[in-house]
Amino acid sequence: MSVLARSVGNAFRNKVRTGAVVAVLAVAIGLALSMLVANQAVAAKVTELNASVGTVLTVNPAGGQGFEGGGEPLTAEQAATAAAVQNVSSVVGTKALRLRNATAAAAQAAAGTPAAGPGGGQGGPAGQNTTTLTTSLTAAVDAGTLGNRNQAAEGTTGSTGTTQPVRSLPITATGIGAEVDSTGKALSITEGTGLGGYAAASTNALLGTTLAEKNGLKVGSTFTINDQTYTVAGLFDAGTTFGNNALYVTLPAAQTLAELPGELSTMIVTINTLENVDSTKTALQSALGTDKADVTQGQNLETAVSSLDSVKNISFIAFVAALGTAGLIILLIMVMLVRERRREIGVLKAIGAPNRTIGFQFVLEALVLVALGSVVGAAVASFASGGIASALISSNTSTTTTATTWRGMPGGAAGFPGGGAGLPQGGPFGGASQLLTTVTASASPGVIATGIAAVFGVAIIGALVPALLTARIRPIEVLRGE
Amino acid sequence: MIEVKNLVRTFKSGDRTIKPVNDVSFELEQGTLASIVGKSGSGKSTLLSLLGALDKPTSGDVVVNGVSLASMPDGKLTEYRRRDIGFVFQQFNLIPNLSAVDNVMLPMEFAGIRKAVRLARAKELLEQVQLDPEKHIRRINRLSGGEQQRVAIARALANEPKLILADEPTGNLDEQTGEHIIELLSSLSRDHNTTILVSTHDRQLANKTDRRFRLQQGRLTEDPARTRIAATAPA
Repeated sequence: MSVLARSVGNAFRNKVRTGAVVAVLAVAIGLALSMLVANQAVAAKVTELNASVGTVLTVNPAGGQGFEGGGEPLTAEQAATAAAVQNVSSVVGTKALRLRNATAAAAQAAAGTPAAGPGGGQGGPAGQNTTTLTTSLTAAVDAGTLGNRNQAAEGTTGSTGTTQPVRSLPITATGIGAEVDSTGKALSITEGTGLGGYAAASTNALLGTTLAEKNGLKVGSTFTINDQTYTVAGLFDAGTTFGNNALYVTLPAAQTLAELPGELSTMIVTINTLENVDSTKTALQSALGTDKADVTQGQNLETAVSSLDSVKNISFIAFVAALGTAGLIILLIMVMLVRERRREIGVLKAIGAPNRTIGFQFVLEALVLVALGSVVGAAVASFASGGIASALISSNTSTTTTATTWRGMPGGAAGFPGGGAGLPQGGPFGGASQLLTTVTASASPGVIATGIAAVFGVAIIGALVPALLTARIRPIEVLRGE
Repeated sequence: MIEVKNLVRTFKSGDRTIKPVNDVSFELEQGTLASIVGKSGSGKSTLLSLLGALDKPTSGDVVVNGVSLASMPDGKLTEYRRRDIGFVFQQFNLIPNLSAVDNVMLPMEFAGIRKAVRLARAKELLEQVQLDPEKHIRRINRLSGGEQQRVAIARALANEPKLILADEPTGNLDEQTGEHIIELLSSLSRDHNTTILVSTHDRQLANKTDRRFRLQQGRLTEDPARTRIAATAPA
């Protein structure tokens, strides 16, 4: 019988105790692996955020973020000025349009309801920077409580005792100067192609998946905006219901539709590195003038990244703590086993077993227990890691998210289509909550393998101490007890 | 050949100093079956521990085939126990969750002998100590006391040691089984030319050995009437 076979046999000498030890180890290892999975998922998200939108600044017209709006619209000249600022790698202009279904708009006009009510729940008034046009498309989402309330006649918010007509949400149309969304992230095109040349007016459009589905449109289908026919060049997925109730056209096309050539709703400015963001923001604000433009970094993103960093740190500390607990469990169990088997160790030494062989046998026995604990723990982690990560994220961000939802949203200049049944969504940055809910904690084999390797490393350290204790046992002391 | 030279072992017990082994000297030729008789607590086990390198003497030396144990480092003493010594204990001291054959294979595993070789030798030894072949693969705790002691003797013989130290090997056995064990040790001593030193308080049992020593208050004396040099013993 080899040392390994003897170690496996010893691990199962007392099956009830082995079962209990494996169960306790499985809890500690499962928790450690879950925390590692959460940590890796959050770290990946932080990296992604920093890489994609962490270097993006948004320029709005001065005063555009207030509830009352105001100021002058941005212009192509200002875009050129922004592009000339040091460390700016690109400037993409957008022109926001609000589309209303022509039939619904006519019905609402007949009922005496203003066609263009205030903006979304979180967006405040539309402001002067958005143009409302008619379309053949029907909105893919219902107006909901907030949408109906916001679109009701001024001063009728709340119950008036009169029957309000059914209202539909406007559709967000954005003219873009590159294949990015209003946060500066690359559009996720699921079907078809992009718009090709974004600097020229064209009659191609990209539709959100739910908007296309609602209207029965596919790639190649046509629809109208202000009686102008547009062709669906591709479909995109923004990841949210409201985000997909939108369409994109080229910037010149939107400016032409709005009859405001050269005018921009926002500018998305990308900085070359994360380190240059703060200094470039100051330089950009100075170049554009505080009375002309507001340069923002997306406070909600910073908050989200900060929250994620906090979750990352907590999950790492919890991973280390759970790992340490597993090591401590092994240490205590093995110390107990060494004490219990002192006589047997003495006999092994009496018949010529070297200290290293006996120590190795105990380390192997510990690793057998850890291996069993790891199998059960990995199964636990694969089921629990997602829930634990969500619980960690929600417990760390609930307060922050509530705050940023109301504080960080630009006004109607860009974030107008609010609505829904109560929980505001949308806006240029999607809100911290939206960012955080996209953290996917999946127990990948690589992460589990890394975690188990760490567990085995700690277990070996935990088992070495009692293994070294065996070297101090003198056979005569235990055999003298006869 | 084993030479014991002025061996002393003292222990402190409070203010008192106890000398269970006090200036013990003797020689044993290879192949001798010898016994040490003495009352409980007379120092028999301590003397055997010193001879088997389980304990270190306060003074004096044990020389085995010209090699002094006093100057050996711990690692070498482990090697000495593994290669040159076989132990048989009163309580058998077998590993309870292993089978008889696995217990016998243990010392050979520590000596680095290949599995196939040690398995064949373990079975051969168990046959020599007359353990029923059906019981070779039985767990130790499912064997009787006499059977366990046979396994312990087979284990002691595993690495063909020069010296077997048997501490009260019949102490836990009935009279008839005890006689069988002594007969077994006697035949093994002759067949393997192994020196066997048995500690016992049973005079009848001691009378069956080639040489008989008496240990009293740490002092060793030999019964001259029983002395027979192993070299002259029948092969």
